[in-house]
Amino acid sequence: MPPELRESLLEALQHVQGYIYPNDVSLGWSVVIVVYPYITGLVAGAFILASLVRVFHVKALEPTYRLSLLTALAFLIVAPLPLLVHLGHPERCYEVMMTPHATSPMAIFGFVYAWYLMAVLLLELWFDYRRSFVEWAKASAGFKRLLYRVLTLGVEDVSPAAIQLDEKLGRFITVIGIPSAFLLHGYVGFIFGSVKANPWWGTVLMPIIFIFSAMVSGIALLMFLYLVISRLRRVPVDMGCLRAIGTFLLSALVLDAAVETLDWIHRLYEAEESLEVLVLLASGKLFFSFFLVQVLLGTIAPLAMLGATQVFKERISLRLQKSLYLVSSLLILIGVFAMRWNVVIGGQLFSKSLRGFTTYKIALVGQEGLLMAVVLMILPFLLLIGLVKFFDPWNTRETPPATT
Amino acid sequence: MPPQITRLVYLTLAIVAVYFLARGFLVPASFGQYGWYRGNALKEIAALPIRYAGRAACAECHEEAAERLAKGSHQGLSCEACHGPGAAHAEDPAEAAPKPENSRFCLRCHEFNLSRPAKFPQVEADDHFPDQKCAECHAPHSPMQAPEDASKRNAKPVKK
Repeated sequence: MPPELRESLLEALQHVQGYIYPNDVSLGWSVVIVVYPYITGLVAGAFILASLVRVFHVKALEPTYRLSLLTALAFLIVAPLPLLVHLGHPERCYEVMMTPHATSPMAIFGFVYAWYLMAVLLLELWFDYRRSFVEWAKASAGFKRLLYRVLTLGVEDVSPAAIQLDEKLGRFITVIGIPSAFLLHGYVGFIFGSVKANPWWGTVLMPIIFIFSAMVSGIALLMFLYLVISRLRRVPVDMGCLRAIGTFLLSALVLDAAVETLDWIHRLYEAEESLEVLVLLASGKLFFSFFLVQVLLGTIAPLAMLGATQVFKERISLRLQKSLYLVSSLLILIGVFAMRWNVVIGGQLFSKSLRGFTTYKIALVGQEGLLMAVVLMILPFLLLIGLVKFFDPWNTRETPPATT
Repeated sequence: MPPQITRLVYLTLAIVAVYFLARGFLVPASFGQYGWYRGNALKEIAALPIRYAGRAACAECHEEAAERLAKGSHQGLSCEACHGPGAAHAEDPAEAAPKPENSRFCLRCHEFNLSRPAKFPQVEADDHFPDQKCAECHAPHSPMQAPEDASKRNAKPVKK
């Protein structure tokens, strides 16, 4: 046995408890696989918020419509990267698309991803932005002019009839997009929910839990971004918009908490043989990330804060309301990350013997280390900055966005 | 038909065409012949140049070493397991003979590991003359002929 492997095994053995099978000692899926469902959830949630404007005509959310779509795009572009980092050999990644097998979840993800990116998100963005592209192309020069012109795909008709058609088609795409967003993130839940050998994961509620938590995290991200960006742009926050986001966020959070509670009630009442180890897991190894972060900080505290903004909206100042929205969105984002952590890491902490636990020690550097996870989480924000600069979501006038 | 739709149809067709074109280039010709793999996989592997000559080929010239190996406790090992592939050298003795592996290679079998049989010779490499090479004391072709003092000092199976 190579000395370094022996060292790591000896170290790992000090952190296991009870009866644990040898192949359960170290975790196969690390923090980057926590980041992956987190990012796809943010995409789905952001898109669903945008669809509220398009399909359900929630006018109050209009100031965040384009920002939601750009956010979804920025995060969607980064979504496959954690998988590439985890699997290694990125030079072979195209093979899964070239010779896809119908029984391979990875291959199907490739197509679900491609469908969502190209047939839903980019199309919806294109129909929404086409008029702006035409106008910006006319008003700019050099590279930007070329970029906007290419993006019009040569359709420069901005007559009312053409714009109306864009609107109509955009709405049609969004109608297709809602089930697609559910499919994208439901698929991630399915990956875990279909592992019948793992009682922590293997529940049919898993895709639904993932979809609701995706909506919660995506809406919270948009609320956070809207508040931060308004501050950076030095423009007043549209309180009507913020309150509308807050209402949807509260509703989604109530639904999410209800479904997750239902899952637990179901587990507790069924009391299968695995229950004992799951209760030990939640109250022991995951006490901090489950009870404190996910339940208390990520669910109960924001529920109380968002609830307060609804109940006492006449009595509390705008400044306090904004602070409550900002803090609750941040707490929800942290809470949903903790939920992903509890699912991905938690599901690997107990042995298939149901009689023992292992420990996950996160590496700082390396392919699957903390720094990589941080980089993967920062990357979509950097992309979003670029997208916002080139495709200014608030500029619907003829002047092109200033990118310098 | 409105230009928006025609352009998007063209773009979609172009993307689909690029996908199938890429498949034409990137999917190996024999893929799917028998199943979800390259039908020619075995033929391709069989066509690779032969790198190992086999123990008999070594013994043709290195008779003495082969005899010692056959009598020692490494008798189950092939020459090329430690020396490396030697087909080129067997074909043409003027070709440089493969160099034996270094001490780390010995440790693949002889580093202490709890799962190995207790009687199997194992050492803790960090404690067992870490600055010396294995072959300085142990004769690889007949490893039990190690110098008396060295083998008695620390080469006993390590118990943890």
